[in-house]
Amino acid sequence: MQSGLMNTFQSGIKTRNWAAWAIAIALFAFYILIYFDYALGILGPVAERLGMGIWTLYGLMYTIAMIIGGIYFLHKHGNSRYHQVRTIVVVLVQIIFAFSIPLVMEIFDSKGFILSLFWPLKIEYFYPQNIFTYPLTLVLYAFLSFVIGVPLLTYFYGKRWYCSWVCGCGGLAETAGDPFRHLSDRKAKAWKFEQWSIHLVMFAAFATTAMVIINWSLHHTSPDGQWITQYPLFDSIATTVQKGYQTVVVAMLSGVIGVGLYPLMGTRVWCRFFCPLAAILGIIQKLGRFRITVKPDMCISCGNCSTYCEMGIDVRQYAQNNQSFKRAACVGCGMCAHVCPRGVLRLENKADLRESADKERRPIVDM
Amino acid sequence: MRYAIVGNGVAGINAANTLRHRDESASISLVSSERDHFFSRTALMYVACGQLSEACVEPYERDYYEKMGFTRVRERASGIDAANHQLIFDSGNRLEYDRLLLACGSVAVAPPWPGSDIGGVGHFVTWDDLTWLRREMTQAKRAVVVGGGLIGIEVCEVLIQAGIETHFLIREKKFWPIALSAAESDVVVPHMKHHGCHVHLGTEMAEAVATNGRLSSVRLSDGSQLDCDLLVVAIGVRPQTDWLRETGIALDDRGGIIVDDQLKTNLRDVYAAGDCSSVVWFNGVQRPEQLWYTSRDQGVVAGHNMVGDAREYRRGTFYNSAKFFDIEYTTAGLVNFHVEGEVDWWQHEPGTYYTTRITYLPAENNRVIGFNGLGRRWDHSILVQWIEERRTLEWMLRHLGEANFDEEFMPRFAATVPVEGGR
Ligand SMILES: Cc1cc2nc3c(=O)[nH]c(=O)nc-3n(C[C@H](O)[C@H](O)[C@H](O)COP(=O)(O)OP(=O)(O)OC[C@H]3O[C@@H](n4cnc5c(N)ncnc54)[C@H](O)[C@@H]3O)c2cc1C
Ligand code: SF4
Ligand code: SF4
Repeated sequence: MQSGLMNTFQSGIKTRNWAAWAIAIALFAFYILIYFDYALGILGPVAERLGMGIWTLYGLMYTIAMIIGGIYFLHKHGNSRYHQVRTIVVVLVQIIFAFSIPLVMEIFDSKGFILSLFWPLKIEYFYPQNIFTYPLTLVLYAFLSFVIGVPLLTYFYGKRWYCSWVCGCGGLAETAGDPFRHLSDRKAKAWKFEQWSIHLVMFAAFATTAMVIINWSLHHTSPDGQWITQYPLFDSIATTVQKGYQTVVVAMLSGVIGVGLYPLMGTRVWCRFFCPLAAILGIIQKLGRFRITVKPDMCISCGNCSTYCEMGIDVRQYAQNNQSFKRAACVGCGMCAHVCPRGVLRLENKADLRESADKERRPIVDM
Repeated sequence: MRYAIVGNGVAGINAANTLRHRDESASISLVSSERDHFFSRTALMYVACGQLSEACVEPYERDYYEKMGFTRVRERASGIDAANHQLIFDSGNRLEYDRLLLACGSVAVAPPWPGSDIGGVGHFVTWDDLTWLRREMTQAKRAVVVGGGLIGIEVCEVLIQAGIETHFLIREKKFWPIALSAAESDVVVPHMKHHGCHVHLGTEMAEAVATNGRLSSVRLSDGSQLDCDLLVVAIGVRPQTDWLRETGIALDDRGGIIVDDQLKTNLRDVYAAGDCSSVVWFNGVQRPEQLWYTSRDQGVVAGHNMVGDAREYRRGTFYNSAKFFDIEYTTAGLVNFHVEGEVDWWQHEPGTYYTTRITYLPAENNRVIGFNGLGRRWDHSILVQWIEERRTLEWMLRHLGEANFDEEFMPRFAATVPVEGGR
């Protein structure tokens, strides 16, 4: 199938020229203004003048970027059925679940809740002081979806059901980020770094959540109505850790760096190196059914798959060795299979890996 | 043990990998003057059109040779002193070996008509050709590509996406007659035209005409003239063995190095693998097989034999794949081999460029011998297995869905043409 990717390496903006740097700097600046508005107070007033909160303004811009990016993506890759279905779903999820429903909830004076986000990507969903401000159904939803829904879906369909079909971070990467997907580092070194960094953040998410929960349970309401604890030292440590996680992981890694580095290091820096939910999904994916099947002996080692894998997976290495594979990082975007000029790769949800065909080939002499 | 390998292509590197795997302490030298790093020759078109960078087509990371302990020798070999176990280079240097592998690949066939050495005329086989074409493409307005095969159509695709008016001259009345039927060519040719390629079937070149030493037009066999500023000649490749003519090595009439089933040549301790070697085909014919897959397999087998593993090279049932602009192509077994009594079952799915052709023998209870598919993806390994199991056409049509390899959400394949409906 035509991949719509010819000319990629002749385009300066797609190969880290000055314009790419300029976009990166602009994105950095924008994300700093968003996430640190509480201190800077620059974008907040602008949003207010437009009649909305800063996060609504951000959500609106994000959704528009995904819609325009989705149209661009379908223009380039829309000859693939998988891409058609996946792109429409991920953009609709953003419009309906991530943007409209929370907005409507807020209009009706309740707190907005994004049904398409789960702990620990949305770490507050397990912070008691936050989640218990929602109705019981949503509390149950947040808990049960993580404990039952997410693992089951991932076991049967791989992490792709979330990372490239539902998630907003992945959604932006797959749409507006498409021009930069080939910039991910596919060297073995990057893979090593990824294994450390993503599990470190996952650990940080568990630890932070645990501390917040413990700290909350050590609090009680005093007779005069104060929310107090007998362990002020632990309280201050837990609060600092919670703030630190918010600043470092949520603001810096998922926002500023995650999106800011699009034009320089590809679109999945956050998803690949840092996202704690992706780390958990990756572990389940390794145990689950989803894999990429390699058609034996047909790979011409061209490198299209490795180049356009936004997770920096060196797919060619598997393909030329006739190895069907499961990789924790694979978000099942389907691009490797789509761009392969020899149709070597296929995304499948099957019970077991196919044996690599090492059988002797018998000639058909009798013609 | 000292192993020397002439050629850093897929045959050479696979032999080197095998040697290293089998002999950790061996000295392994890879001789090539083309490029320092092994690259995928099959991906040249993607570099030319900018879909891949030069680094993208290197299957291994840059430190691979160091890691594997391969010595690079940046020389051109000009002969072999077999008696003294020495490889001779253009520079006059020599390299001693205990075992030598010739994996020197192919060169483009030079055109028989006058005017092939003028500026603006070239081939598309080597890394230098790639550099040349990319330079030419920055100025070319109108290009002619000669030769109705796979390299020709790849070059057309590259030129068209660069916005160059492209004329594709094909000598035969259909595209790629060795593999496609007339009906299949009738699917591919309109598709090329749809992409803006001017396809001239049944048209031969007569002469490339120069003005001031640079190409200005081509004259065709019917006398007509076509102005152009770029001519890519893709009329085939032949083994790159001219430098071996004086060495006493046995060559076939195509220039291929004759090898036995362990890929040994007639010279002691000299082996050959890949495009340059001439092997015995399933039908007893001795000739080279210029494919990526066979070169890779031969490299591995040669490596084993060089360390003394005594492996036979078995060609097995034929398979191949290609891509014509957007149309993917898969084949398995014998198609267009003109086996006596063969009949084709053929289906063209309406409104698409998906076609399926199954060649079978009615005299042998409809045994299937070959498969050709356009558009859809097929797992050739399953098809090959069925052909080897001597399945009938009826059985195959019932099970064909199992060999389908299309991506998810594609409409499923269904055989709707009745068995007698074949031509
Ligand atoms: C544009 C193009 C597209 C192709 N697409 C496909 C495809 O889709 N599918 C497929 O199956 N096949 C394809 N092929 C064919 C495939 O690339 C070859 O069959 C394969 O690369 C052969 O590998 P090899 O190792 O035998 O030789 P090569 O890759 O040709 O390597 C030989 C090397 O030896 C070097 N060498 C030769 N002589 C000397 C000497 N005297 N001294 C020093 N070095 C020397 C050469 O410079 C070269 O680097 C394609 C070929 C081309 C050109
Ligand atoms: S391996 Fe393929 S499906 Fe998985 S993330 Fe990479 S390109 Fe996407
Ligand atoms: S799997 Fe396909 S895209 Fe990847 S290197 Fe092999 S032929 Fe190229």
